[in-house]
Amino acid sequence: MLTRDFLKLAGLSIAQRILPPSLLQLWAQAADAQAKGRKVILVTFGGGVRTAETFAPAGLHNIPRLAALRPEGYFYQNCQNQGVLSHFNSTASIVTGNWQRVDDFGFEAPASATIFEHFRKANKAGPLDAWVIATNKSFASMGSSSRRDFGVPFGANVVLPKQLLLDAVKNIVRKPKDSDLSDRDAVHRRLETILQEGYEGVGWTIFKGGRQMDKHVQATLTRALGEFINGPEAPTSGDELTFFITREVMREFAPRLLLVNFWDMDVAHWGSYSLYLQAITRTDRLTGMLWDEVSQNPKYKDNTTVLILPELGRDGDANTANGFLNHRSGDPSCRNTWLLALGAGVAKGATDKPISHVDVAATAAAILNLRADGMTGVAAKEILI
Amino acid sequence: MPPPRFDFDHVPVTFAAYFNEQLRAWETLFPAEKSYFDRLGTYLEKAPPAMFTALAELEPKMGVTSSSWPRGRFTLQQVDFLNRNPLYPEWRRIITAIFDQINPALDATTKGVPRIVIVLAPADLPVGPDRMWTRLVGKGRRVPLVVPEDISHCIPLLLTGTANHNIETSLVELCSAARGPHSSWTIETAATMQAYSQKGTHLSYEGLRTYRMRLMAEVQKIAEQGEIRGPRQLGEKLKTLQPRDAEFANDPLMAEFIRATLLAGNGTLLVNNTFVEWASVQAIRRAKPSLLVTSFGIRNKVKPFSSLLIFEDQDAATAIPTQADMLGSYVDLEVFYQYLWQEAGKYAEYRNNTAYLFLAEGMDEMLLIAPADFPQADVTPGQRVTLESLHKSCRLWLGV
Repeated sequence: MLTRDFLKLAGLSIAQRILPPSLLQLWAQAADAQAKGRKVILVTFGGGVRTAETFAPAGLHNIPRLAALRPEGYFYQNCQNQGVLSHFNSTASIVTGNWQRVDDFGFEAPASATIFEHFRKANKAGPLDAWVIATNKSFASMGSSSRRDFGVPFGANVVLPKQLLLDAVKNIVRKPKDSDLSDRDAVHRRLETILQEGYEGVGWTIFKGGRQMDKHVQATLTRALGEFINGPEAPTSGDELTFFITREVMREFAPRLLLVNFWDMDVAHWGSYSLYLQAITRTDRLTGMLWDEVSQNPKYKDNTTVLILPELGRDGDANTANGFLNHRSGDPSCRNTWLLALGAGVAKGATDKPISHVDVAATAAAILNLRADGMTGVAAKEILI
Repeated sequence: MPPPRFDFDHVPVTFAAYFNEQLRAWETLFPAEKSYFDRLGTYLEKAPPAMFTALAELEPKMGVTSSSWPRGRFTLQQVDFLNRNPLYPEWRRIITAIFDQINPALDATTKGVPRIVIVLAPADLPVGPDRMWTRLVGKGRRVPLVVPEDISHCIPLLLTGTANHNIETSLVELCSAARGPHSSWTIETAATMQAYSQKGTHLSYEGLRTYRMRLMAEVQKIAEQGEIRGPRQLGEKLKTLQPRDAEFANDPLMAEFIRATLLAGNGTLLVNNTFVEWASVQAIRRAKPSLLVTSFGIRNKVKPFSSLLIFEDQDAATAIPTQADMLGSYVDLEVFYQYLWQEAGKYAEYRNNTAYLFLAEGMDEMLLIAPADFPQADVTPGQRVTLESLHKSCRLWLGV
């Protein structure tokens, strides 16, 4: 839906389909040149996670990768979410640098310009240079704001792997005679079919880049599906597909600005503490694998800053209705999270000095040498060297 | 009986709205809730205006006007308004401060009676008594128990004092007879406790299967139609979906309790132990039973892709066999024990007069958190207690 609206507004579909191949080649070369600059990856522990189960002493065993990486980067032990404690508004605050108070379930775009729009507009960056890859399927409008002077034409590509997975799995369940969920080939076939039918059906925004480029994007995403389905660990979660798609996008397009939203830990709403802990550990593992990719991929190695943080905490055990199940109480367990910065340009250290979620976009802007006016947040200077 | 009338014109509208909403739902309130709101209303009528000064000053700054907040109405838009308001944290702080003044006054009018909360764990948990209740063990003490040779006798011995389900001596029945129908609750994952509860209030996750499946199908249908923005709107839409197949179809009070528990309690539709925990928490909060028997079970392992199929029947969704998750259930329950104990402790009705008995079927120890005068509290360390004797202690404590 969003893609259709965008195409209608921007007229890009026709314009870019009539571009000569030589121009496409130029575009690709420009993308290569840009790839040599600084890059920023934002990783959110979406769904919300408490410090108690992560960087508190008793929680460290749940996050072995991040715990081991902490001395390699700069750690803020008090990153505060002072905004609306819903998922969409929390992440929208992170990517805009302003506290967002729009619809809690993503029916409205952020009201302030996102870091993606600032970045693309200031750098005249192409649409393959900014991506949102989000497990939360209501994040379709996270890539751009409702601002008239910014908006969809400057937004990020938005990929919602879980929605794709959901459609495939539902299709199989509704036709039990054809196959079963234990048949991973059937899941794979169905995933590919949905992808071939078009991105709009699963709520994605993928900017059209001409036939060759479109094929390239689709081949990249399809390859990610193959790795997801055929991996030795037989992964099944939305977050795992998010990781595989992210890695493939990094390898193929090397975007300079990327938001990766993991989400499995929102299973806490089911009321199973053990599933919540398992999801935290899985997110830790996937974040670690993402860091491995950053460290090994020549397009990212030594020029990429990774900022990792929970979009919000969850309610504390004491004095709340049901502790870890919810995240609306506004108590310290819910608002006070952490941020770990890793990679290029990051000093080593730790502090208990409070920063807040809106400082993240301002920090990303500083790293990318962007002038991003109108942000409430301020850059976290401690990590900028 | 119609709801009482109170004069709240001096109470700021964002505070009065919640109270008015409760009065509107008067027919679906338990006696304990009616008593609370009656006392609260009486208190508020005479409350000193200074109590609300901070809130009255804050409301205009939040943008509260007589058109956005007409007196006597409370809508989903107003809930959204509060949640998204930049001054919401300040509003919450002030509301908490107001209740910090109100609650001690109301608590002073609350008559405490001896109460018991029994929490039963299934036999299959893979840990011993040393690791069963680690979050609570410092609050009470482990008491050695005599375990019957046939562990299926554990629950009847505890609840009836005999091995043969003698309902006449059931704690649930005795308590219900003495203190009324909502004074005694059994809440369980399975469907075995009904045998001890004819006059008491009994809820079973298994027993509600037909209703759960209907709700899940409706939620799925509504979600796929894409007309609903979020849980609150979904809740409004589903308010008409009362139980019709379940045992409380003819009891509007319990029908609404079950509907609300299943739809407002996160995973209560999906996970057996979550239903039991949330229903128990709600029973404590709302009905304040004198006796609550909460019986957990083992939840199933999550099947591949099932997190994507939240509202599908998991057994039908995949041919992969269903497997029990013993270790996961243990981890889940450890937290729930704490939440249950903590919830009861919030209310004057339970403080200082409640015995908490945490047992696991077939386990030779229990965790007892109880006032010093609970009849078993003076057991000599190391001395084993029989379940029959524990039953007697409970009767003595409840006076039934």
